[in-house]
Amino acid sequence: MNDQDINVFISTARRYFASLEERPSLVIEPPFVREKLGPFLEYTGIIGVSGRSRGVICFTATGKMLGEILGLLKESRVDEEAKRDLVGEIANTLSGNAREEFGSEFQISVPTVVVGAGPQLSQRNGSRNYAIPLNWHSETAYLLVALE
Amino acid sequence: MKLLIVDDSSVIRRAIERGIESGEITEVDQAEDGEQAIQLYAEKQHDIITLDITMPKMDGLTCLDQLMQINPEAKVLIISALRDRTTAIRAIKQGASGFLCKPINPDELREAFQLLLSD
Repeated sequence: MNDQDINVFISTARRYFASLEERPSLVIEPPFVREKLGPFLEYTGIIGVSGRSRGVICFTATGKMLGEILGLLKESRVDEEAKRDLVGEIANTLSGNAREEFGSEFQISVPTVVVGAGPQLSQRNGSRNYAIPLNWHSETAYLLVALE
Repeated sequence: MKLLIVDDSSVIRRAIERGIESGEITEVDQAEDGEQAIQLYAEKQHDIITLDITMPKMDGLTCLDQLMQINPEAKVLIISALRDRTTAIRAIKQGASGFLCKPINPDELREAFQLLLSD
């Protein structure tokens, strides 16, 4: 995974947030590299990747942001369970959409969801930990990418 | 008409149900994985099925194979985040009637659904 590949994930994030509203308001800040994967917010959806690449992709967001997205989806339930479900679904969508560029050998798992403290994920050799800040409606989420 | 919505996300299942907005649907069932979908379909033989691919227990493409064994004429609309040509072609070859990518575009969903209804 290199800096160019990260653009694929920036595109998938832009597409997802553009699907939510007529006037997209997502502002994506330049990705940065961290020694450890993070930062993690209240809700984190984790996707394991195998095949063409190995590692993890995470989407992590605040409950407030997830609540707003549920509202835009016209979801009547804006509770803990719905937020857990949504954060996993967003992680799945952002990862699965990357197959448009990486192909079907880029295999993704079903999402795992962690609420609260960030998950303990083992570091793979040869992977850099990218964090892509996603600013939307005064809240910030992160798309975290750590792939070999 | 009976509709079966298969997706491991309850938020997405409800979004699909709201998005279809068809007066022709009289009964809607939901399943959260392929195994549950097969059980429900064997019981009720729904007229239309929307089917996710990345799911626990049994993925959507395995489920699609089994649905086609039960009824080769089943109308199945795949709705998946897997946005690659190979997966779409494979699903169509296995018998799917259509393939939509997530995030779901409500206009595309309604259009795809109307096409299935008129088929």
